[in-house]
Amino acid sequence: MRWGMVVDLTRCIRCYACIAACRIEHFLPMGMSWPRLMALETGGDNPTVSTYSVRCNQCREAPCVEVCPTGATQKREDGIVWVDQDMCVGCRYCVIACPYQNRTFLSKDKDKGFFPGNGLTDFEKAGKKLYAHQIGTTEKCNFCMERIDAGLAKGLKPGIDREATPACVNTCPARALTFGDLDDPDSEVSRLIRQRNGFQLHPEYGTDPSIYFIDGKIGALYTQETEQESVREPAPTGAVR
Amino acid sequence: METHEWMIQYTRQTEWIDRRGLILWIAFYAGGLGGGLYLVSLYFNSLWGMFISWLIIAVLKGGAHLLYLGKPQRFWRIVSRPQSSWLARGFIFVTLFIVFGAIQLILSFWLPGTAGEIAFKVLAGITALAIAIYTGFVLNTVKAVPFWNSSLLPLLFVLCGILGGFGLSVIIALNGGHVNITVAEAGSRWLIIVNAFLIAIYLWGAANRETTGKQSVMEQIRGSGAPIFWIGIVILGIIVPLAIAFSSYFIREVSAVLLVTGVGCEVIGGLALRYCVLKAGAYSPLVAVASYPSA
Repeated sequence: MRWGMVVDLTRCIRCYACIAACRIEHFLPMGMSWPRLMALETGGDNPTVSTYSVRCNQCREAPCVEVCPTGATQKREDGIVWVDQDMCVGCRYCVIACPYQNRTFLSKDKDKGFFPGNGLTDFEKAGKKLYAHQIGTTEKCNFCMERIDAGLAKGLKPGIDREATPACVNTCPARALTFGDLDDPDSEVSRLIRQRNGFQLHPEYGTDPSIYFIDGKIGALYTQETEQESVREPAPTGAVR
Repeated sequence: METHEWMIQYTRQTEWIDRRGLILWIAFYAGGLGGGLYLVSLYFNSLWGMFISWLIIAVLKGGAHLLYLGKPQRFWRIVSRPQSSWLARGFIFVTLFIVFGAIQLILSFWLPGTAGEIAFKVLAGITALAIAIYTGFVLNTVKAVPFWNSSLLPLLFVLCGILGGFGLSVIIALNGGHVNITVAEAGSRWLIIVNAFLIAIYLWGAANRETTGKQSVMEQIRGSGAPIFWIGIVILGIIVPLAIAFSSYFIREVSAVLLVTGVGCEVIGGLALRYCVLKAGAYSPLVAVASYPSA
């Protein structure tokens, strides 16, 4: 069993519901977002906007697991890569090692509260009790493993039963996100990947991500033009996340 | 709508060089310098040099690295994965050096020439070399940053550390320490030349490795990192110390002030080298768009 996700780029309507659902599910601090949404315009005079909903790729060969000096970043048998915050020492080696830049170090400035200087809302107070985020540690998407585990314990099937399915998948109104078992050839995710040419981001890294994308204009560009990619002037580097 | 630049553009790593990352930069350099000085001091059998290198590693390197951690009180956990993590190995090397080095210093002071002293010199020497070299492996194993994927990086870092060690040993010699200043100067002279060649080969290799590596090199020599590269590494780290070293070789007598200036420049060059390597490390765009935005 290996949990995976398929993101249908043609269906995403950029409503940010997945990001909001994750924030609510995990009581995320304001300065942090596990999934991220990016709209990209290509096509020059006749631009096409494509959207990428990205999150931790739950790589089969996860560089973050390899480099973690404490064993805080772990990979479960079902393929989910997660961070034990009680073990994380905050060295940020995993943040550096992730080629997809999908890890975030939770520093104090990322957890100032929803209304800085005005105390915590009741929602935030509840969140501190239910899902404590530790400042000084690294975080990332964990495929809502708490929901999966709780659902499986009840005999539910992740990807089919809402109670056992990641919050972002449940909330997506356009059904752009599909969740399921990549090892099951009859699962919806396997069918989509097979029938609609699902592709991973940067397969050349050898990380074998568990998240696939289908039908993206960018995907087509990516596969056709990566080899011809030209070097630009230094100016583009330096973006601070 | 927010566009995340890291998805469509080359982005440099920030965690290990910006803001608190500067502490890690100091820690990485101190590890190389302390390890290099210890090895040089072993060669000269300079107790002062060994003591100073022990202080650099135990206090500056160890302290700065602990200070950088998000949860420093859990530092003891950084030992559990030496089989795959160079950071874990590095922490073990530092811990062992602090222990071996302390015992060696005690033995060298009170029981010099004994078998125990020699044994602990060997053990501390091995761990000092490991400390000087491991930061290169920490970076070189990060596949996500092509600029760092070079087997030259550990060699460059360790030679840079030894160069700094020779420089500090000159200062120790000037203060009456047990160091042959002529040999220390000759060591510096050759290592500056070797390091200059290694830096050139490293940049050439990175520029030819892949597009992102070339981007990092361009950032280094023509982008925002250029002033530190040209002034810090090339002028202060190579040209000035080399000029002083050769004037010392030909004139035979160089003032202490000039020697100290040369050593200071070597240290600045070493710091600049680590800074530029960390600063220029860039990731490929998540979504590789060939010619954004006009594609």
